[in-house]
Amino acid sequence: MSTAPSRDLAQENEPDGGPSGEYTRLRELIVGPEKARLEELQRRLDNRQLRTEELSQVVAEAIALRSRRDRTLQRTLNPLVEEAVRISVTRNPNILANALFPVISEAVRKAVAHALRGLVESINQTLERSVSLEALQWRFEALRTGRPFAEIVLTRSVRYRVEQVFLIHRETGLLLQHVARSDQIVQDSDLVSGMLTAIQDFIRDSFAETSGRDIETIELDEFNLWVQHGPSAILAAVVSGAPPPELRNVLARTLEQVHAEYGPLLASFNGDGAAFAATRPLLESCLLGRQEQKSAKQSQPFFIFSAAALLVAIALVTFFSARAQRRWDRLVERLRQEPGIMLTSADRSWGTYELVGLRDPLSTDPEKIVRASGIDPANVTSRWEPYVSLDAKFKVFRHFLGEKDALEQAVLRFPLNSVQLSAEQLAKLDDIEAHIIKLQHEGAAIGQKFVIELHGHTDPTGNEDRNDALSKQRADEVAKALVSRGISKDMLRTVAMGSREPVRAAAAYLTELNRRVTFHVVIEIEAGR
Amino acid sequence: MIQKKICMVGAFGVGKTSLVARFVYTKFSEKYQTTVGVKIDKKVVQHPAGDINLILWDMAGEDALTTVRPAHLKGASGYILVMDGMRRNTLEVAIDLHGRVSGAVGDVPFVCVVNKADLRESWEIQQSDLDNLVARGWTVVETSAKTGAAVEAAFQTLTDAMMQEHHVDDSTAGAVAG
Repeated sequence: MSTAPSRDLAQENEPDGGPSGEYTRLRELIVGPEKARLEELQRRLDNRQLRTEELSQVVAEAIALRSRRDRTLQRTLNPLVEEAVRISVTRNPNILANALFPVISEAVRKAVAHALRGLVESINQTLERSVSLEALQWRFEALRTGRPFAEIVLTRSVRYRVEQVFLIHRETGLLLQHVARSDQIVQDSDLVSGMLTAIQDFIRDSFAETSGRDIETIELDEFNLWVQHGPSAILAAVVSGAPPPELRNVLARTLEQVHAEYGPLLASFNGDGAAFAATRPLLESCLLGRQEQKSAKQSQPFFIFSAAALLVAIALVTFFSARAQRRWDRLVERLRQEPGIMLTSADRSWGTYELVGLRDPLSTDPEKIVRASGIDPANVTSRWEPYVSLDAKFKVFRHFLGEKDALEQAVLRFPLNSVQLSAEQLAKLDDIEAHIIKLQHEGAAIGQKFVIELHGHTDPTGNEDRNDALSKQRADEVAKALVSRGISKDMLRTVAMGSREPVRAAAAYLTELNRRVTFHVVIEIEAGR
Repeated sequence: MIQKKICMVGAFGVGKTSLVARFVYTKFSEKYQTTVGVKIDKKVVQHPAGDINLILWDMAGEDALTTVRPAHLKGASGYILVMDGMRRNTLEVAIDLHGRVSGAVGDVPFVCVVNKADLRESWEIQQSDLDNLVARGWTVVETSAKTGAAVEAAFQTLTDAMMQEHHVDDSTAGAVAG
């Protein structure tokens, strides 16, 4: 393209001596200087090196001018710069590393110093806490609920309370957001924010200029001001009481989150705080802790109530356990005194009881004694080995029983169809009378009441009605004979058995053995035996 | 609400604090000024864009012993350069301060205030001096903290200038986003 005009010019410059020569001269006169300038411009445009030199003289100003007007240049250059950095790092990482070293080493040094300080603080606290009862409770709670110990400390510590939290723009000292407890009297937070920044600047300027460190704590009588510094924002918490070091981590995390979410807004902050309204919930999550006084008041009724409940419970348990013990002691004593019972061991544990010993079958049933004691027999297991007691009461009783057996062995026999006792049978009455008199004596001695039944029997021959009447007459005959000998009539009872209770061994050829009267001592059972 | 940090700078005894007191009426506390070197006040001013919360950083006056702390200037959206019409040297201090402040915070809006206008007849600073300042592109307001003359106007002028910058900021921010 650029060569085309020069070819045209060359054609026009062709010398000819014709009338056009005049025209050429005329043209030379009129447009000569412009033509020369055009040629000069042409040369400059064509010459690449010259163009580069000229551009190099203005390029810096042009960039400055453009970058002031808008940001297009930055955006255009952005990928180039990134690529250039990438190439530089690939080619020789040392260059960039050396350039960044002062920045990074400073940042690392600060971070390490901060972490170490936090570590020392927490070691102190750990030593303090590891021996207190409260801390043990917290550890147990952490174990039980699976929550981190630090979280328990933050929520359970009653010695501190975060009263207010300020989020401050670092560069301007302007307040971005502020949250406070509802019961706090809030000074003009804008001014507090500014003043805090000014004081920090003052202290940094005056004392810490070289170290470049920030104030992290300002202590007053009852308040602590804990300040957390970020690159673009500051988080300041007004804390009453003695805050645990874990709170520092909460503040640091919150500030990191603010930076992560609002980084670009913080960088371009121009005084419009509306965009930071959304940080409120974040800051409110820092309003941790409780006021000591309040918590004490709150816990007091609960404490009293639980203490009272505990006392009542202890009293009840003591009462019931003492009553059970008393009953048990009485039962054991009663069993030891009971004739015919030899208690060898009596154990009581957790509401169950065990009794082991020897028992004369004639003695009172131990279960009755247990029931009378007020202890539930279901809770009592007992094992009794039988034995013969030599207790006087049982000796007499045994004699009584011997007489009873002897009497019941006695049989009076009758001839066929007769109620008359033979002389031989009548002689047996002496023996029978003697047994009955002994029974009377011994029964009286041990307080045992009884009656003697006289059972009249017949042989199976003859009809039943006749047999019944006959058996009754036989029994009455014997009773009459005994009464005539002086035996009390009240003690005797006659029963007609007919032929219903034949002698077992009696075969058909011995039917005469069935014609008889037998004696039965019926013991009257009293209540309590 | 939009907040703007404003610094009051000027030579010792030109009446910076009096101007702020006149403008604000409510004071946070006087005692910090002597200890920290700055006193902070707040004033809400009206603007078509909404109420603006001005945070006024009242710096300790410049003299042979005290210099303005650059840290305190950081982040200021504008400043008020105060001089005392009665003392010519305060003008020189103001010019010097302007150089230093704009070096610290950049080319932000400012208003030059010549105080003690109630004593105009005994001023050392002449009208020609002020004309020179105006010729530099400065906005010059003659005020009296004592009578209150033009005090509101000075702050309002600065606010308007800052808000113009604010909107420029917004449009650049828009360009970045676009």
